[in-house]
Amino acid sequence: MKKIAIRDSEYEPKKSRILRTKRMTATEKLFEIALPGGKSLDHEPGQFVEVSVFGVGEAPISVSSSPTKRGSFELCIRKVGRVTEALHRLEAGDDVGIRGPFGKGFSVRILEGNDLLFVAGGLGIVPLRSLINYVIDNRRDFGTVNILLGCKTPKDMLFNEEVDEWNKRLDVKLNCTVDKADPAWKGNVGLITSLIPGINLDPDRTFGVVVGPPIMYRFVIKELLAKKIPERQILVSLERHMKCGLGKCGHCQIENLYCCQDGPVFTYDKIKNLKGAL
Amino acid sequence: MQYALLKKDHLNDFISKLAQEQKVVAPVSRGFGQFSFEEVADASRIILKHIPTILPPKKYFMPQEETLLEYNLSEGQSMEAVVECQKMVLFGVHTCDLAGIQCLNIAFSERPKDFNYLIRKNKIAIVGLECNDYCDEYASCSLMDNHFPNGGYDLFFTDLGDFFIVHVNTQLGDELIEKTKVFERADKSHMDTLAKMREKKRGIFKNEVDIDHQELEPLFKKSQNSKVWDELNKRCVACANCTNVCPSCYCFDVTDELQLDLKHGKRYRRWDSCQNEGFAKVSGGESFREKRGERQKHRYYRKFLYPMAKFARFFCTGCGRCSRTCMAKINLKETIRSLITEKA
Amino acid sequence: MKKPKVAFFDFACCEGCQLQIANMGELLLDVLHLIEVVEFREVMSEKWDKDFDIAIVEGSITTEHAVERIKKLRERCKVLIAYGACATIGGINGMKNNFDLDKIRQTVYGKDYKYFATIKTQPLDAIVKVDYYINGCPVYIPEVVKVLKAALAGLPYAVPDYSVCVECKLAENVCMYEKGVTCMGPITRAGCNSWCINNGNLCYGCRGMVSNPNQNGAKDVMEKYHISVDAIKNKMDMYNTCRELKDEQKKR
Repeated sequence: MKKIAIRDSEYEPKKSRILRTKRMTATEKLFEIALPGGKSLDHEPGQFVEVSVFGVGEAPISVSSSPTKRGSFELCIRKVGRVTEALHRLEAGDDVGIRGPFGKGFSVRILEGNDLLFVAGGLGIVPLRSLINYVIDNRRDFGTVNILLGCKTPKDMLFNEEVDEWNKRLDVKLNCTVDKADPAWKGNVGLITSLIPGINLDPDRTFGVVVGPPIMYRFVIKELLAKKIPERQILVSLERHMKCGLGKCGHCQIENLYCCQDGPVFTYDKIKNLKGAL
Repeated sequence: MQYALLKKDHLNDFISKLAQEQKVVAPVSRGFGQFSFEEVADASRIILKHIPTILPPKKYFMPQEETLLEYNLSEGQSMEAVVECQKMVLFGVHTCDLAGIQCLNIAFSERPKDFNYLIRKNKIAIVGLECNDYCDEYASCSLMDNHFPNGGYDLFFTDLGDFFIVHVNTQLGDELIEKTKVFERADKSHMDTLAKMREKKRGIFKNEVDIDHQELEPLFKKSQNSKVWDELNKRCVACANCTNVCPSCYCFDVTDELQLDLKHGKRYRRWDSCQNEGFAKVSGGESFREKRGERQKHRYYRKFLYPMAKFARFFCTGCGRCSRTCMAKINLKETIRSLITEKA
Repeated sequence: MKKPKVAFFDFACCEGCQLQIANMGELLLDVLHLIEVVEFREVMSEKWDKDFDIAIVEGSITTEHAVERIKKLRERCKVLIAYGACATIGGINGMKNNFDLDKIRQTVYGKDYKYFATIKTQPLDAIVKVDYYINGCPVYIPEVVKVLKAALAGLPYAVPDYSVCVECKLAENVCMYEKGVTCMGPITRAGCNSWCINNGNLCYGCRGMVSNPNQNGAKDVMEKYHISVDAIKNKMDMYNTCRELKDEQKKR
């Protein structure tokens, strides 16, 4: 059997360098990564990349930094499987393979000029941070900005310093909640859905952007609809196992849609009738 | 030259001459009424009258396992994307399987393109073979409109007793004919015999299920919440035979494998199936098609509904393999009939 | 890199899985570049009384003495690999659990049976934590190598959770059921590349059952091929009797 080298194969990762790492919680670690030649990733917030550890495998990871950050990008990776376990052992100076960015992100052009309500549960903050920082870096192009963050306990909170920075801004409203507080916690306790009714918003010009664990979507979307936000102004990012990123391998398919190419960001009206989407 | 003639006595010369130059694969008997495409040196093992092979010729276009990437971790992590391929002639492909290859062509040439598939596909010459009669009761090629030749081959053989009429469809096909020098001119009487056979064939092949080809898509669209899927949920054992033998299924898994020197390694893909437990599982542990009935429905929808919207084509070829091989007797024609009855 | 210290041990078994290591041939040399074997009764006389990195344990637990021994072994190693059907699922030894223990002892040992203590057969993970599973009777060498590499890298290895049919179809074998043979492939966990069927034998279910078998669907299969429930039950019991023990424990 002949073996031929393929130029520009969609399966060939770019060898990229880890510039910096930061342990965030017991299970999450932040990686700053540069593509070869200092090229920008040129992603849209909400898109993902396929990260390779050679000899171990590849995993889809959403980009956590804003495209306004040039020259390098950031991934916040939870240790849950074989590849992420191996990734957690890597440090600055080590190489990883990068393919992508893949998929459709949050279309910032559609969001421009509108009010934004961000709802992030647990790890949902990771892709949402990319959009939030993009909005903050282009703050006058958007209307009011409301951020709701929720997680299990205060020590699971990610990007604490940055969240504090957002909180200090006069052009951002931010609310945090945890399922279970500890003595030092001063914020809300309870489900993230409980924060939504109290928000004053203009439904016609508000976009709700929701990212979180599968169970969260149904409840949050119900609250947003109760606020009269139109279905097509509710954006969600769905988690599936995108193995190839090319709309071929089938693992991330939701009915007729490939999460890796048609998503991972969808407007609610597009997926509300898809069985098994939410 | 559009049509050529090959006397049956010369088939062996044709195959053995080709086999001297390149790999030739053709359907051979595996016993127990089963067949598979295997490499042949001449025509002695080739079975012209065969039911669809255990695996479709898909295995030559998208091998069960294939390397995508090779790397070396010792020299600053060097890597190379590769495709393993080989020139070959694929002989004896039925019209259902030709349709299957066309489905794969479409899926893999959709952007982003899959060069592993596209490069390999162009190394393979395809020689089709007509079915003059039904292979067995599982086929639904007439329903899927795949019982007559409809392109997708270089040469196409029709067995007419003592001779084959051969449709020469491409330059590559013509080259195979020129190279082997065993073909003759087909004259009008031969062509009449072909026409007569085709006429007779029209009488034999009838819609296997009482539904119009065009009505299949609406039928499946209406069947989202059908009880038929609950029924399949009870029966399916999730052995994934249906998808592995399907000529138009192309899902795969990607795995890294390091050699024991812990330096050299490869990334390869292997056929995977939406019927397998854990196929739609995410890292958090949630599986999005947990029930076997949901997975079966997904399989049917990937044949009769989703590709219609995307490619304006059914991805079921009517070959009948899924029904023939199902451990639990799930039968495609019966499934469609049940859906029709339910909606009536 | 310092080579990890690896030791082989056995409990109730035929030691055939360990023999597979000796049968590896040239591949064994590559493996020995990566590990230091400190104890392996079948191929070397040296003993090791200190701690070690990886314990590869064959056999199932069938006596109280074995229970204590495996617990002590677990304390001495960082990683424990259950090796072969007896260790991973109880295996053939599990057939004993279908009988009254006293009666079976009498049958085997005669009138002095009381001197031979025994308990119900259990796989290793019924007693201690198991880090890696290498299924099979015997183990399949390519999978042994895979698991070893995973263990050396400290990464998880997941045994496939689909049936042997998947790998058997990829190998394009004629289905055993087409040959009129009852095969355990449809409900047995893959990972062996349908080794037995590729070589003309049927699947005996030595790798244990898939996590979510469809019992109702299995009835359809039996009906299609005119197989009696007893015939299937007998075949299943050959390797998988301990599964019932596990189900009982779960219920408790």
